[in-house]
Amino acid sequence: MEEDLILYEEEIARIDKVLSRLIKGAEAKCTLLVDKDGHLITRQGFTHSLDTTALAALLAGSFASTKEIARLVGEPEFSIMFHQGKRDHIHISLVGERTILVVIFDDRTTIGMVRLYAKEVGEELALIFRDAKEKAKKSSSKPITSEFSNQAESRLDDIFKD
Amino acid sequence: MVSINYAFKEISCKIVYYGPGLSGKTTNLQYVHKKVPQTTKGELISLATDADRTLYFDFLPINIGSVAGFTTKFQLYTVPGQIYYNATRKLVLRGVDGLVFVADSQESKMEENVESLKNLLDNLQEYGYYLSEAPMVIQYNKRDLPGAVPIDVLQKALNPEGLPHFEAVAVKGEGVFDTLKWIIKLVLEKAQTKSQTPPSGPERIVSATAAGLPESNVEVPPMAVPPPRPILEPVGVGFRVSALEATKRMVERPLIAAGIGERSAEINVPGYRKPEPVSAAQRSAETRPEIALKNRAILRPSELVKNRVESAAPKKSFFARLLSLFAKEKK
Repeated sequence: MEEDLILYEEEIARIDKVLSRLIKGAEAKCTLLVDKDGHLITRQGFTHSLDTTALAALLAGSFASTKEIARLVGEPEFSIMFHQGKRDHIHISLVGERTILVVIFDDRTTIGMVRLYAKEVGEELALIFRDAKEKAKKSSSKPITSEFSNQAESRLDDIFKD
Repeated sequence: MVSINYAFKEISCKIVYYGPGLSGKTTNLQYVHKKVPQTTKGELISLATDADRTLYFDFLPINIGSVAGFTTKFQLYTVPGQIYYNATRKLVLRGVDGLVFVADSQESKMEENVESLKNLLDNLQEYGYYLSEAPMVIQYNKRDLPGAVPIDVLQKALNPEGLPHFEAVAVKGEGVFDTLKWIIKLVLEKAQTKSQTPPSGPERIVSATAAGLPESNVEVPPMAVPPPRPILEPVGVGFRVSALEATKRMVERPLIAAGIGERSAEINVPGYRKPEPVSAAQRSAETRPEIALKNRAILRPSELVKNRVESAAPKKSFFARLLSLFAKEKK
């Protein structure tokens, strides 16, 4: 079973900085970083009008099915996906082993620019993730304690009422 | 796996509803979506066919708010139940933290239940998961139907290991929240023990022993008891306790850490050259028993760990290697 995904503020700050640069350079609208399991890691740009939780789950699903398609046609993985819309387009690329970089952009820029920056930024992000993984391995403290579970359970009783 | 994001102060877990077609997985999610407060839930997303059959998955995010300073989220997924959709069904299982197996209580569906459970275990195995790692509860749905199979028969066929089970009528909401609460509880418990187990701890060994056990190669006749699988939970509990004890002991006696810290602090003092030979010897004499004690505390749960330590052969010194090289040359 894979390790839990644990990210600390320091890494997220580094990632956000890199993503901001991508948005500025490629003139994209926003970018999301999504775990392959569908958890949103972080986002930058104009994401306020978006349901990022659902978007993350669907993008991860979409990527997973594309990967399966790749396998069926004898490719290890399609590392880049592109959805073209009337106004907005989405560029999806794989970063590191388990993270998906999503860039949403419109006609102010070109797919070429987005692809260029996504590639450049992807390598940097992969490095950050490697660091984060090492760090998570070393640290032993985690927030989920028995106190946490107890609090969560009492909260559940309030929320899940017939 | 559980995702913990310290920057957003967020914890996110993935729970998957599995089961044969039309057993009521989506209905479970729809009921949860209908009943929980507006602030708690996100949108229910269904990737379904025109005939309202799940094609890829249903997705419902639940946010139970801040718990101990962390916004805690659960992502509920269902899989497409029809046999035909196994490729997509398997994809949804990726990174699962908790499973709800929704079984159909009708007699005519028994074969499908067993088949689906077997399929679940196969798919899990392909990802390298075992039930001891992803907790599971079983929900016997459609209890209100006149031809519902008695619980003990269902238990025998689907749950020989005695996993927690619930009776439910998902369309009316009976048992839906009980099931969900219980699986969340198990997921959190699991995450808790995981975070208390040292990285090289005994948990990995639980799965290692499970790896060699038979799982799915045996053909299962309908209505029969599935092939015996390892009952891993009690073992897990045992380990959990010992791992807990080990951790407690480490917390009570953080002497090694203190020892190491001291040493580096000494070296960092400006103008400080080298520790005096006598004091260094004393210190090593002081810390050595502690190291041994710590090792014993961690290693006790499993022999396998001990083996691993023993197998680590002492490294040859540089000169020894050089000498042996010369000896080879001479020959």
